[in-house]
Amino acid sequence: MFSLHSLVLANHGFSINTNILDTNIINLAIVVGVLVWFLRGFLGGILQRRREAVLADLRDAEQRLAEATTALAAAQKELTQAQATAQTILSDGRTRAQSIREQGEQRTIAEMARVQQDAQANLAAEAARVSEALRLETARAAVAKALEAMPGRLDDAAQARIIDRSLDALG
Amino acid sequence: MILHLPLAELEVGQHLYWRIGNLNLHGQVFISSWIVIGALLAVVVLGTRRMERDPKGLQNLLEFLWDYIRDLARDQIGEKAYRDWLPFIGTLFLFIFVSNWGGALIPWKLIHLPSGELGAPTADINTTIALALLVSLAYFYAGLSRKGLRYFEYYVEPTPIMLPFKIVEDFTKPLSLSFRLFGNILADELVVAVLAFLVPLVVPLPAMFLGLFTSAIQALIFATLAAYYIGEAVHESHH
Repeated sequence: MFSLHSLVLANHGFSINTNILDTNIINLAIVVGVLVWFLRGFLGGILQRRREAVLADLRDAEQRLAEATTALAAAQKELTQAQATAQTILSDGRTRAQSIREQGEQRTIAEMARVQQDAQANLAAEAARVSEALRLETARAAVAKALEAMPGRLDDAAQARIIDRSLDALG
Repeated sequence: MILHLPLAELEVGQHLYWRIGNLNLHGQVFISSWIVIGALLAVVVLGTRRMERDPKGLQNLLEFLWDYIRDLARDQIGEKAYRDWLPFIGTLFLFIFVSNWGGALIPWKLIHLPSGELGAPTADINTTIALALLVSLAYFYAGLSRKGLRYFEYYVEPTPIMLPFKIVEDFTKPLSLSFRLFGNILADELVVAVLAFLVPLVVPLPAMFLGLFTSAIQALIFATLAAYYIGEAVHESHH
């Protein structure tokens, strides 16, 4: 496949050409010189501006990072304070809730006692009123009954006896 | 083809043939390609060996080039897919650019070959056709890998009348890419060689500067068109 022999044969005859005009070396030197001069100004300027832009971007980013770090620290401090405040508020609230509950309980107990007392008082008053009414009714009924029975039983002899007994009692 | 003139000789179409099996290789293209590849690798390795936050010297230059190529690829391919193709586009641009400028700036004729002469690798049609076919493969692969068989919808958009034109385009794209680059660089080298051969001093200078300019433009055109073809293949049309 690969014929080394022919390759060697084909390649013999490499040499350096030293003919200055034939190699166009002077023109090439001029072209390269002008190109280097031009690129140094043109491309160099572009690259310099690019580098400055990159550095400015980096500086900006670093500054923003520093600012953000400061802001973060401040915010974290505020957060800690807020948490402490929240804790205080919470414990205060718990205490107040506890005391309010106790007060409420006590008030309720007192109220209940008062209501009970009132109820008992009412009951007693009602019982007294009812028994008074009953007594009056009974008395009235007794008097009525007595008045009804009286005409039959209270004759002169009976009257005399009563008067005698009353006199005896006085005497 | 050898021009027989009384003053000197100008050789065109002579090659340093290397035979491998049944293949005749243009050895001078390989030698100059290796030099170009070696120079590029050396610059990249040197420039990225000690990278710092403060971009200085070579690192700054490489970052600048990277920015430039990234902008080129992103403009042509689009935000979604350009990252996949950035290395390819960048390699094309840098290889062609350094080949062209190397061919125009390095005094290759100091080295006398037994046959043919050293020059820009891109002045040889084989190099440019290889690069252009790589671009063809790349855009087919880009389209097929991104859209699957739906890639072929591109051939009938916006109307099926476009089908023959789009098929012809697949052949004309690599053809125009390779011939444009090859033609420009070879023509530039020939103009400089003929002028230098007629009037050795000063007169070739304008042609040499113009050559530097067109060489740079050709590298840019090749890379931009490659990116554009890939972008066309991966482009999602209104679905």
